[in-house]
Amino acid sequence: MKLAEMKEGDRARIVRVTGEEPVKRHLGALGFIAGTIVRVVGESYGNMILAVHESRIAVNDATAQNVEVANV
Amino acid sequence: MSKSVKIALAGNPNSGKTTLFNAITGSEQYVGNWPGVTVEKKDGILAGHKDVIIQDLPGIYSLSPYSIEEKVSRRFLVEEGPDAILNIVDGTNIERNLYLSTQLAELGLPMVMAVNMMDVVKKNGDKIDFEKIARTLRCEVVGISALRNEGGMEAAEKLVEMAKKAVVEKGPDKLPDVPHVFSGSVEHAIAHIEESIQDKVPLRSIRWYAIKVFERDREIIKKLDIGVGEMKHIEEHIRDCEKELGDDAESIITSQRYEFIKRLMDNSLTLNENRKGKLTLSDKIDKFVTHRILALPIFILSLCVMWFLAVAENGPGTVLTDWANDEFLADGWHLPFTAHACREEGKYKGMAFEDAQGVFAKKDASKSAWEKAYLEKVNEGKAGDAQVEEMPEEIDEQIAATIVAKDVFVEDEETGEPVAKEDNEDEPDLWDVDYAAYKEAAEWEEPDPSNFGVWVPGVGALITSALEKAGVNDTVKSLVVDGAWGGVATVLGFIPVIFVVFFFLAFLEDCGYMARVAFIMDRLLRRFGLSGKSFIPMLVGKGCGVPAVMAARAIENERARRMTVILATFVPCGAKTVIIAMFAALFFREQWYVAAMMDVVGIAIIILGGIALKKTRFFAGEASSFVLELPAYHMPTISGVWHHTWNRLKGYILKAGLVIFPACVFLWFIMHFDWSMNLLADEEIEKSILHDLGSWIAWLFEPLGFGSWQGAAASVSAEIAKEQATATLKLVTVGMDGVSSGAHIQNFFAAISDFPKLAALSFMMFNLFVPPCMVAIAVTFREMGSQKWGWFAVAFQLFVGYVLALSVYRLGVLFAGGGFGIWTAVAILVDLWCIWMIVRKGYGK
Repeated sequence: MKLAEMKEGDRARIVRVTGEEPVKRHLGALGFIAGTIVRVVGESYGNMILAVHESRIAVNDATAQNVEVANV
Repeated sequence: MSKSVKIALAGNPNSGKTTLFNAITGSEQYVGNWPGVTVEKKDGILAGHKDVIIQDLPGIYSLSPYSIEEKVSRRFLVEEGPDAILNIVDGTNIERNLYLSTQLAELGLPMVMAVNMMDVVKKNGDKIDFEKIARTLRCEVVGISALRNEGGMEAAEKLVEMAKKAVVEKGPDKLPDVPHVFSGSVEHAIAHIEESIQDKVPLRSIRWYAIKVFERDREIIKKLDIGVGEMKHIEEHIRDCEKELGDDAESIITSQRYEFIKRLMDNSLTLNENRKGKLTLSDKIDKFVTHRILALPIFILSLCVMWFLAVAENGPGTVLTDWANDEFLADGWHLPFTAHACREEGKYKGMAFEDAQGVFAKKDASKSAWEKAYLEKVNEGKAGDAQVEEMPEEIDEQIAATIVAKDVFVEDEETGEPVAKEDNEDEPDLWDVDYAAYKEAAEWEEPDPSNFGVWVPGVGALITSALEKAGVNDTVKSLVVDGAWGGVATVLGFIPVIFVVFFFLAFLEDCGYMARVAFIMDRLLRRFGLSGKSFIPMLVGKGCGVPAVMAARAIENERARRMTVILATFVPCGAKTVIIAMFAALFFREQWYVAAMMDVVGIAIIILGGIALKKTRFFAGEASSFVLELPAYHMPTISGVWHHTWNRLKGYILKAGLVIFPACVFLWFIMHFDWSMNLLADEEIEKSILHDLGSWIAWLFEPLGFGSWQGAAASVSAEIAKEQATATLKLVTVGMDGVSSGAHIQNFFAAISDFPKLAALSFMMFNLFVPPCMVAIAVTFREMGSQKWGWFAVAFQLFVGYVLALSVYRLGVLFAGGGFGIWTAVAILVDLWCIWMIVRKGYGK
C-alpha cells in the first residue's frame, strides 16, 4: 500500500522508500526508513501531515506516492 | 597567553539552537555569510569568556550532503576543525535528534549534548536517562531549557573545560573513543576502510571519514584521493555488506543508525503511557490552520493583519513612516499628548498646528505671487542690469494699486497639483490677490510650533540650523541638506515599515505558522515554478523590495529561490506608489482604475514570468517532492523575535546607507554643476551635466514615447530610489512660470508626444517594472550568490519593463489612430515572442 492511500488517523509501518536519491536520503534522516511507524495527523488534497517519532512532517502527494507502507 | 577555543553549535532545525545561541553569546554576535553561499553565518563570543568563540551552524538533520546547509556545516566541522561541539537536542523528540548526534560523535571531538526543552519533557511526564546516553555516545549530556535560559551556560562552560583539557591530553592524531553503532559485517568493512585511509585523515575523525567512504560519498572520496586499486578493494567489502543485508550502503547506514538509537532509547527513555498516540495541542490547531477549506481564509486573514500593520492607512507602519519622514527626519514634531491649539495672543490663537500651517501656506503663496507680479510690472521695459530683483522697502502705491495676481494656489507636495478646494475635491483652490489682500497676507508670520505644544526639532531642521550657525555658503548647505542628507533620510524613512514587516514575519516564523503557510501555498505556487515559501517575499514586496528579496532566503529550493528573487520586486513597492499617485492625479483622473491596475500588472508579470522562466533550461526540472518539518506551535519570546528582526534590519541599514548616500551626493552634483564646474541656479538645469548625460541616452527611450533628456534623466535617477522619478521630473521640466510643477509635467509630455497620456503611462510603467532601486539590485546580487545570476535578474527585469512600456505606447498609439511604424512592428514581434515563451512546451518535455 502507498502512504498516499492512507486516511487521516491511520497508522502504518514503512516498508520501503523509493524515489530520487537526495529526497530519499533526506526522508531517511527524518526517520522515514523501513520499520518506522507513521501516523497521518492531517490530510488536504493529497498533501499530508505525518507524525514520525515525535515530529510532524508535511509531505506533498508526489512524495507520499514514493513511500510504501503496511498495516500494523 | 592561552589560545582561543572555537566551539561549533550544531543541532536540528527547530531544536532551539538560535535561542540557545542568543542566550549564551548575549549581544556579541557577528552575522555574515558562509563563503560562496547565501546561508547565514553567525558567530559570537561566549558571555564572560573572551577567548571562546561560538560558531552557530545552520540547522541540519544529518551530515550527508543533502542541502547547502548540510554541506556548509560539515565542511566547517571537518575542514576548519572546531575544538569542540555543543550539540543541542530537542528532548521532546530525542530519537530523531540523536540521528545527527551519532554522526557528530563520530568526528571524535569533545562534545556536550545539551538536551533542550527539559521543562516540557518534565511536564509531559517523560524521563530521559542522561547517564546511559552519555556512556553510550561517549560525550557529556546536560539537560537545559533555552527558552527559560536554564542550563545553557553550564553546558557551554563544561564543554570549554573539556576542550581545554583535550588540547593538553591528546592532539588531533590520537584515536578517539567513539561509539560503534553498526552490525558486525558493516563494522568489519569500516575497519578495513579505516586501515586504507589512516594516512590521509586526522586520526580523531577517521571513523567519520570511513563511514562516509562506505556510503560512497562522492565529495569525501574525491577529497581523500584513494587509489584505484585500493578503492576496488574497499568496493568489494561494501558490496559484500550490501549483498548480505539486501540494501544499498547508504540505506544500511541510515537504518542501522536508527536501530542503534532505538536500542539506546529502549534503555534510557521512559515515555508517559497516557500521552501515546494522542493529539497534541499543536495537532489540534493544525486541524484548523491546514484544513482543506479553512486554510486559505485563515492565511488571507493573517495577510490582512500584516497588511494593516505595514502599509494600511492609519496602521502602525504608516503612522511610524509618516512620523519618521515628515517629522522626525524633517522639521520636527510635537511630543505626544502635548499638542494643543494655540494659546498665545495673535492671529493663530485657537487654531490647531496643522490648520495654522495651512493658513500660512495660503498667505505665503498670496504674498510671493503678488510680489512677483509687482516686480514684473516695475521691471517692464527696463534693461537687464537695471532690473529690480528684490522687493524694495518702499512700495510704489500707485503701481501697487493696479496689481492683481491671478489664480494663486498652494502646491501639493506629492502630486505637484494645486491643492483642491475644501468643499470640492475636484476643483483646484485658486484665488486672486490684490494690493489690500497682499498687505493683509504680508502681516502673517510663520506659526511658531512651540506655541502649539512641546516641540522637538527634527533632524533635518537641526542640520539646517547648525549649518546656518556655522555660516557656510549656500552651495555647501544645498549639498549637505539636499544631496547627502536627502539620501540618508530616504533610507532612514523606510526603516519603520521594514521594521514592522520584519517583526511580524519573525513572529510568524518563530511561532511556527510560516512552515504551515509554505505547506498550504506550495500546491498553488508550484505551478508557476515557485515554492510555498515564495508568497512571503511578494507580500513584503508591497512594502519594500529590499526586505522582500532578503526574505527569499527561507526558500530551500535553489531554483524557486532564484525565481522568487527575480520576480518579487515586480509588486509595486511603497516608493513606486508615490509615482503611481502622481501620474494618476496628473493624467488619469477619469481613469481611476489605472492606479489599481498597476498591482494587477505586477501580479500578472509574476505569474506569467514564472511560467515562462520555468520553461527555460535554467529553471526546468520538476521539484516534485515537498518535505518540511512543522515545528510545534509555541509562543515566541520577545527577545527571540527582536534578535531575528534586528539581525535583518541591520543588514538593510548598512547596505542602503553605503549605496544610497554616495549616489545621492553624485546626483546632486551632476544636477547643480556644468562640465566646467560652475555652480548652476535651479533654472539653469539645461546647462547641467545631468542634461548632457540624459541627452546621450535619450534615444533609448525614443521607442517608448519619452525620448528626451528629461525622461532619460528621471528614469535613471529613479534607480537611486524609485520616488526620485517624480522629484527629478519636477526639477527638469521647468518652463512657463506661474503654473504648478504638475502642469509643467503635463506640458512636458504634451510637448514630446502627440499622445501625452500614452507617453505618461509608458513612462510610469517603465519606472515601475524595470529593475528596482539600486539597493534592491545590490541585495539581489548578494542573494543570488553569483554575478551571473545577478545580471540575469537585472536583464530579465529590464526586458520586462522595456517591452511593457514599448507595447503600451506603440500599440496604444496604433489603436488611437496614430499610425503604424517600425517600432509598432517591433512591439508586436516581441510580444508574440513573449507569448510563445509562455505557451510553448517546457525544456526537456
